[in-house]
Amino acid sequence: MLTLRLAFRNILRQRRRSILTGLSVGIGYLVCCVAISMSEGSYSNAIRFFTEDTTGHLQVHKKDYLRRPNVHKHFALEDITESLTDVRIAAYSARLFAPGLAYAGDNHAPANIIGVEVETEPLVTRIEEKLTAGKFLPASYEINETMPALVGAGVAELLEVGVGDELILISQGGDGSVANDIFTIVGKIGTRTSGDRHNVYLPLLAAQNFLTLDGRIHEVVVRVNDIHDAIQVATNVQQQLDITATDIVVSPWQTVQASFFRSMESDKRANEISLGIILFIVFIGVLNTVLMSVLERTREFGVLKAIGSRPWTIARLITIETSILAALGLVIGVILSIPLIWWFATTGFDMPEPIDIGGVKMQSMRGEFSLDVFIFPACIVYVYALLVSIFPAVKAARINPVDAMRST
Amino acid sequence: MPQVIQTQNLSRRFGEGDTLVRAVENVSLTIDSGEFTALIGPSGSGKSTLLHLIGGLDIPHEGSVKLSGVDIASISGAALSDFRRDHIGFIFQSYNLIPVLTAEENIEYVMLLQNVAAGERKTRVSEMLELVGLSGLGHRRPPELSGGQQQRVAVARAMASQPDIILADEPTANLDSKTGATLLDVMRELNQSLGVTFVFSTHDQMIMDRAKRLVHLRDGEIELDELRESVAT
Repeated sequence: MLTLRLAFRNILRQRRRSILTGLSVGIGYLVCCVAISMSEGSYSNAIRFFTEDTTGHLQVHKKDYLRRPNVHKHFALEDITESLTDVRIAAYSARLFAPGLAYAGDNHAPANIIGVEVETEPLVTRIEEKLTAGKFLPASYEINETMPALVGAGVAELLEVGVGDELILISQGGDGSVANDIFTIVGKIGTRTSGDRHNVYLPLLAAQNFLTLDGRIHEVVVRVNDIHDAIQVATNVQQQLDITATDIVVSPWQTVQASFFRSMESDKRANEISLGIILFIVFIGVLNTVLMSVLERTREFGVLKAIGSRPWTIARLITIETSILAALGLVIGVILSIPLIWWFATTGFDMPEPIDIGGVKMQSMRGEFSLDVFIFPACIVYVYALLVSIFPAVKAARINPVDAMRST
Repeated sequence: MPQVIQTQNLSRRFGEGDTLVRAVENVSLTIDSGEFTALIGPSGSGKSTLLHLIGGLDIPHEGSVKLSGVDIASISGAALSDFRRDHIGFIFQSYNLIPVLTAEENIEYVMLLQNVAAGERKTRVSEMLELVGLSGLGHRRPPELSGGQQQRVAVARAMASQPDIILADEPTANLDSKTGATLLDVMRELNQSLGVTFVFSTHDQMIMDRAKRLVHLRDGEIELDELRESVAT
């Protein structure tokens, strides 16, 4: 306790110097917090964007489908429903895919034909919010009517069609036959630049009928209550599936969007290195302060050793003093960081030009306000504080008492 | 009386070649428990160096130092620190108190290193302050005390750990004669009432007058070891 008191009073001895050192640590910490907040916030936004847009948090496919999609790699939803009972799962929806061509009059366009479950797809993605004209696919339709379709803005533009017009889709059926049929456009989705511009959405039953794949699907998209649980839930579901179904693979969004995830992770590591360097520079200043303090108190350390302090006791005193300086810096840093990061998280700013990361365009910068944003740099600050205290601590601990007491 | 300090052929040199200084040369000295001894001599005679060697603050080139039967040349590092903490009290010329600690805390510090219980520490601090005549000033920090008061705190600090010996290096050099005399009386009183062994390094006549034994040093060697029948009171 007396050592702690001694350390505190030594810090207060040179108030101005201690405050300046604390400020430099605090500002370094602030820079780190802001950088991490912006990085995490931007990535969170991007992840939220693509998981809510299309990907969902998990996807279930036939083995190897993600790497080499194929119309024949299908399975039945019933094969996996018993495995989708994890309480962390909020909703799931089945999809069927096929590449095709769309025709209207003399115009034609490439089309990604996607069969979606009309009732559950809006629970896993924000497909309904992307409607720019017409309405979402109806839950039911008359068997004698032409089947409904939602078209991406790109397809609509190429075909020069709108809501109420008809289009013809041609594709390959699951049985190898040529699939073709007429559909009525009930709505238009997205923009001419969005990722879904070449998509044509059909009700799942209509798609299965069109592709001669009755009761079959290519993908199940799963939304979990907390995105941070995605990997755990995927593992859990996979374990269940391994018992009941073969060749079915569950992939979290990190696997589905592997290129984005890899870019994000390497960008984060690079960020961490940059921040580590910034803090290292800050802590060279701290080292200078502590070394000066040790030099000024050489005589005192000599006395402490002479009267019986062990070298380790003196080293510990220096380490405690450096830790207190770091704590002072952290207090200053936290006080400055909280309002600033709160502003970044709630308001932020829009980018003049969107940034493309792993194929995902980020148009706005929003920070993230979470414990992690504050904890990680705090840990770094403390590790550095301990590291930079080693040299002065050893120096003080090795002081020769006779020589030290001769010094002025 | 048991011997508390034994030095045998003790030598300590500084520099080499033309600059070689034989600070202490072949010194064999025995000091009994309860003595009030002064190492005296002109500047450069080796008295401070001898005191440092006896206190385990410096390492001899030759010879040995036994303190309470322990050869302190055979221990080092933390063990030597612990030995100094438990067996030796130091009083320095420049007081050398820790400026950010109060008088009480300065006295308490060594006991804290000794892991003395809090209650016991508090009692001993009060006793020491009373012994050195500083009751009521324990909350003051060194800069708020006069030189004489600071040196009294240093005496109390040296006493607080209940050492076998107290080594005092020119303890009155920075004090005026009246304050120095009062302080010496305090130390003399402690020596007589508690039997604490004091060894001084000094050329202060007041100390010489009060010491029962004067060890005269010249050029690092003992010139005369004088045991006196009567001393100034």
